[in-house]
Amino acid sequence: MLEQGKISGRQAYLLIINVILATAILFVPAVVSSTAKENGWLAAILATAVGIVISILIANLGLRFPDRNLFDYLGDLIGTLPGKIIALLYIWWFLHMTAEVVRSFGSFLVVAFLTETPISVFNFSILILAGWTVKQGLEVICRANEIFLPLILIGLIVLFLLALPEMDFRWLLPVMEHGVKPIIHGAITPISWYGQIATMLMIIPFLKQPQNFRKIQNLAVITIGFFFTMVVLGTVAIFGPELTPRFIFPTLNAARIINIANLLERLDPIVMAIWITGAFIKITFFYYVAALGTAQLLNLSSYRPVVYPLGIIIGAMSILIHPSILELEHFIGKIWPVYAITTFEVGIPVLLLLIAILRGKGGKSQWSKKSPQS
Amino acid sequence: MPNFKRPIPVSRWKEIKEKEVPVPNLPVPEDTTQMQQPMGGTIPKQQPQSQGVPASQDNPGEQGKQPVAGWEKMPLTNDLKVNLQQIRAILKDCSDVLYRVFSVTHHEEVSVAVIYLDGLVDKSLVNDNIIKAIMLEYPMAAHGETQLTRANALSIIRNQAISNTEVKEQKLFGEIIETILNGDVTLLVDGHEKALMAGARGWEARAVSEPETETVIRGPREGFVETLRTNTSLLRRRIKNPEFKIETLKLGRITNTEVAIAYIKGIANDKIVKEVKNRLSRIDIDSVLETGYLEEFIEDSPASPFSQVNRTERPDKVAANLLEGRVAILVDGTPFVLTVPTFFVEFLQASEDYYERPYLVSFIRLMRFASLLMALLLPSLYIAITTYHPEMLPTSLLLSIAAQREGVPFPAFVEALLMEISFEALREAGVRLPRPVGQAVSIVGALIIGEAAVQAGFVAPSMVIVVAVTGIASFAIGGYTAGISMRLLRFPIMLLAASLGLYGVMLGIIAIVVHMVSLRSFGMPYLYPLAPTNFGDMKDTFTRVPWWSKMKRPGLISQYNRQRINPGQEPKPSEGGDNSAGTG
Repeated sequence: MLEQGKISGRQAYLLIINVILATAILFVPAVVSSTAKENGWLAAILATAVGIVISILIANLGLRFPDRNLFDYLGDLIGTLPGKIIALLYIWWFLHMTAEVVRSFGSFLVVAFLTETPISVFNFSILILAGWTVKQGLEVICRANEIFLPLILIGLIVLFLLALPEMDFRWLLPVMEHGVKPIIHGAITPISWYGQIATMLMIIPFLKQPQNFRKIQNLAVITIGFFFTMVVLGTVAIFGPELTPRFIFPTLNAARIINIANLLERLDPIVMAIWITGAFIKITFFYYVAALGTAQLLNLSSYRPVVYPLGIIIGAMSILIHPSILELEHFIGKIWPVYAITTFEVGIPVLLLLIAILRGKGGKSQWSKKSPQS
Repeated sequence: MPNFKRPIPVSRWKEIKEKEVPVPNLPVPEDTTQMQQPMGGTIPKQQPQSQGVPASQDNPGEQGKQPVAGWEKMPLTNDLKVNLQQIRAILKDCSDVLYRVFSVTHHEEVSVAVIYLDGLVDKSLVNDNIIKAIMLEYPMAAHGETQLTRANALSIIRNQAISNTEVKEQKLFGEIIETILNGDVTLLVDGHEKALMAGARGWEARAVSEPETETVIRGPREGFVETLRTNTSLLRRRIKNPEFKIETLKLGRITNTEVAIAYIKGIANDKIVKEVKNRLSRIDIDSVLETGYLEEFIEDSPASPFSQVNRTERPDKVAANLLEGRVAILVDGTPFVLTVPTFFVEFLQASEDYYERPYLVSFIRLMRFASLLMALLLPSLYIAITTYHPEMLPTSLLLSIAAQREGVPFPAFVEALLMEISFEALREAGVRLPRPVGQAVSIVGALIIGEAAVQAGFVAPSMVIVVAVTGIASFAIGGYTAGISMRLLRFPIMLLAASLGLYGVMLGIIAIVVHMVSLRSFGMPYLYPLAPTNFGDMKDTFTRVPWWSKMKRPGLISQYNRQRINPGQEPKPSEGGDNSAGTG
């Protein structure tokens, strides 16, 4: 196996949270409230419900092969050559997703903090650090996340509490004035973020106790849902349904207006710290999955040699894919969900699960003995 | 092609040294025993020097003999002269070895030689218990009893004459030489192929005193000293239990330093004990003068600014570590004892934490973590904020800093670098210089850095405050070792802050955290219990819970025998009501 380390249930839980929450937390209020308006929080809850369905789907597929990852059993399910092609497409998706995250990471820093620095400085510096971390293995990524994620979550809760005086919850009324349609519309992008849980298919065999994975994943999705809802509620209550979608990063603007007795003000460095650490782990994990998958596809004995070459591809891609941040926001809000959900996040896993069930592949029977369906 | 990596054994090393001097390799004139092989040459010009003991019975002409190669494994002969000759050849030019050769006449005349190192033995013990006992007291006391003959001399001397507590029989030259060099006394008896080792160590040593590097307000004031035996006794006095094991081995091809591994069997993880022994026995070095030598051989990641092995001068700290399941490594000649495996949080803990009240200690521990962050980050945050993000400061503060910096010719980074480097230099000067001079240096430094630099307009007063607070914070961390890594890492982070602002600082923090979580100490994750998180052990990390609620030993180190305290010992007011007089 290319990865020697094993991760515990708690580490997997925290990893899933960060992988989905980290970048979404800044975009989610604007994206959700642009269509769902004052009912954005309902859209967040709806997305979480769909997220749980996706998570169950992913867990069902992954746990059929608890000691192998997606690329190991792709060939078994659909034949060697089609398997290789799908694997290649997945590598593309991992690289593209990493590049998107790197791009939004750099864009945020350029827009909000260091406006005169070229974006390539941020993209490449974080990729060098991420590449170095990827080389140290999944265990190190998960342990670093164990340090960072609690701080991120505490930071978010503290920001929310400090912003309470600015909130006016009447902004959230009326509930469902225009019916369910805008809510479903608003939920689509968050659903595509939840769909990123499909990357977990690559690391299920590295869990110490894969039988708990189902529970861990669902718990993680619910935790993420809580934070999504909290952030959407908070920002809409501060800025109202009309102003929130006009910001690119409403969470940052919310942090900027916090002022407690002229003592606690200008808390945007907290948002920046949350963003940098969260995005770092997210980038590192996707980068890791891409490197691992590439090494598996090429039958390498270690994924380490491909890490920096992939980094260069990701770095270049992250700069080339979008001409501007507005285009980036448009892509994340309108194009990415369709592209990701229909193929890599839900489409292909559903097909694979169906094939596995029909062809009777995977250890459903051996597996159900160990763990009752939870 | 010689293999430079292979160590040269001491005997070979001696041979090589001798070969450098052109010595006429003369054949030995008379081959008395099988030990003297013809390869041993003689150096005619080097006559034996006076050994301080008069009237030795051996032939002085044969003292210049080279020791035979492989003497370590060579057995003694039954001829005292030959044995002595060989020992003198091995210990040639060691002027501190004393030879006392005398004969006892009781029934038969028996020659006895006493050999020891001057200064390493307790001379009164040698005089009273060995020489006097053999020469005078036994012959006088044992008149009618067993006759002392050449045949039974050794056993009589061993069993009836000398009154040392520690006596052993030895058969090999290697053992004898080791005995002598360790400071014990060797007795050779004519006609016997055995030698007697009598323990009589006693040398000048520093008294047990309070350790200067780790002082406490409350707690024992004993510290380790330079003698291994004293150090193990300090530990044994605290842990009076047969399961407390102290195993020794010799390290250092030339110094032959005694190294001890101490652990409590049943608490320490057997795998770790085995790993410690493995790693220590793999070391091949000519000398071990301090535990630092070993530390660099046994740590897991040599390329790291973080120390992965904890060291202390305090016996109570070592005892507490042993009771948590750790393994201690003691080296003769140094008061510093290593304990492994080490977690980073240990460097932020003091032994006193466990003696003082838990609430105060918890506060102090949190303060230490804050100091750690401040020592690492404060100058870089100052640089980043004043250079890149001035809008983050409240306006009045920003104005005052800007006004201070008005006349300063350097950018904040250069200013901070100047101040930090001069502060580090000052600190180093204070440590190395003799104490009276050191104080003068600190006064001069304080005046120049504090006053003159500001008045001359080189640095802003706010920078002086930042550097001073950083310095104080780095002292407040507790462990000197943790402070060192923070002092070292401060500079690259300052550079990052100067080039990328707060983003650079964040990059630095991420890099440090990733590096720290990847470290291991004897296979145990270095940042435990933070990552991997263990909430049970976190009770004793940021806070220190009262003893009665500290049920278990830290996980990972002691994987079995984890129960420390039986539950339900929380003190409560007695149920019978108020005990004080006068109230119902």
